[in-house]
Amino acid sequence: MPDIYPDPDNLTVAVLLEQTGERLRLSPHPGCEGGDRMVQSPDTNRPGLCLTGYTHRFLHDRIQIFGETEITYLGRLPSEAERRKALAHVFCFPVYCCIVTKGLEPPTELVDCCRASGAALLVSPGDTTPLIRDLTGYLSEVFCPKQSIHGSLVDVYGVGILCTGRSAIGKSESVLGLVERGHRFVADDVVRVRRAGDALVGMADATIGYRMELRGIGVVDVATLYGIRAIKSRQQVDLEVRLTDWSEDMDCERTGLETEFTAILGVKIPLIVLPVLPGRNITLLIEVAAMTTLLRRSGRNAAVELDKDLIRNMIRRLSDPVGDQRLPEAEDPSPRAGSAS
Amino acid sequence: MTERTVTVPNRLGIHARPAALIVRRASVFRSDVRLRFGSDEVNAKSIMGVMTLAAGKDSQLVVIAEGKDEKDAVDAICELVSSGFGED
Repeated sequence: MPDIYPDPDNLTVAVLLEQTGERLRLSPHPGCEGGDRMVQSPDTNRPGLCLTGYTHRFLHDRIQIFGETEITYLGRLPSEAERRKALAHVFCFPVYCCIVTKGLEPPTELVDCCRASGAALLVSPGDTTPLIRDLTGYLSEVFCPKQSIHGSLVDVYGVGILCTGRSAIGKSESVLGLVERGHRFVADDVVRVRRAGDALVGMADATIGYRMELRGIGVVDVATLYGIRAIKSRQQVDLEVRLTDWSEDMDCERTGLETEFTAILGVKIPLIVLPVLPGRNITLLIEVAAMTTLLRRSGRNAAVELDKDLIRNMIRRLSDPVGDQRLPEAEDPSPRAGSAS
Repeated sequence: MTERTVTVPNRLGIHARPAALIVRRASVFRSDVRLRFGSDEVNAKSIMGVMTLAAGKDSQLVVIAEGKDEKDAVDAICELVSSGFGED
């Protein structure tokens, strides 16, 4: 997969070929390049039913895949006139790109229709289903929802932490501290986030790369300063840590029993609001937040465990208020009963 | 100094969630706020402190405050505890 996906508004058939042609073994049929035609949908369509004349709800804004079914159907039609009539059902819509798979020879009538309408005709020796899967994978990356977020992204023990907060609150410095401790830097200031299914993936802006601005020093390049082990090109966003100015009346989480969430591009991720105070080591706290996230994923939650211990303790006290006053050794008043073993 | 006794009404007593609510409410006041249960006395603004009380249902808690807003602080904490923290 390429690292840089074009904007959907710039995705022409030529760009599609340039980025996926080699991997999907796609090549234009001579005379039917249609390179300037825009790809309009992240999905593909099999036009079989449309060829038979059922044109209701035909998905003409999608790339049309002519697999073995479509090609053999056309081949079995008794005459050239019948084939042209079948294809006319498809080409009365503004079709822009057709792909013939399995190394099949595109029928002359299909070549003519593409040529006449200016649609691109691509061929591939690949099997239809894997080709559709790979093509859809690429297209969904191009068409996926995207957002630029003001913050920093860093991989801490495999947990993608998006560090946000107002300008000059210390995001860059905290992230630099994490890099210093061996964690991997992804992006600072501008994080390009896109939604891949139910996950968020973040990366640096293509131009900014691994550079960050430090007030008083200027622009530094993390990749040059710390080397290849300190950087990562893309990272899933697992947790947002929001740095805020501390105020006396602020309402911050004290136990960690309740998890706060935030939504980015419609994906819900946990949120930790960290008040910044003199003497608080933000880098260390972010590292602990990452480790806590890992522990919770594996079913361990210190707050829940403490709460259980506390409730158990209180219930024991209530049911045996006298026993609570005694030493644990004295709890069983008849130590000799049944002690033969 | 202001102090008043309040009874813990909820079934699970002062476990982690009610403790967090008490600490949050107490932290709003400038006064020094403390809780006494039996021979234990803790700072009501310390979550771990409040939990160590292990004050179960029907416990008699003494709310103590000292400072300019001590009366409001005692009122607020007593009201919160008697409300049962929204639990059964």
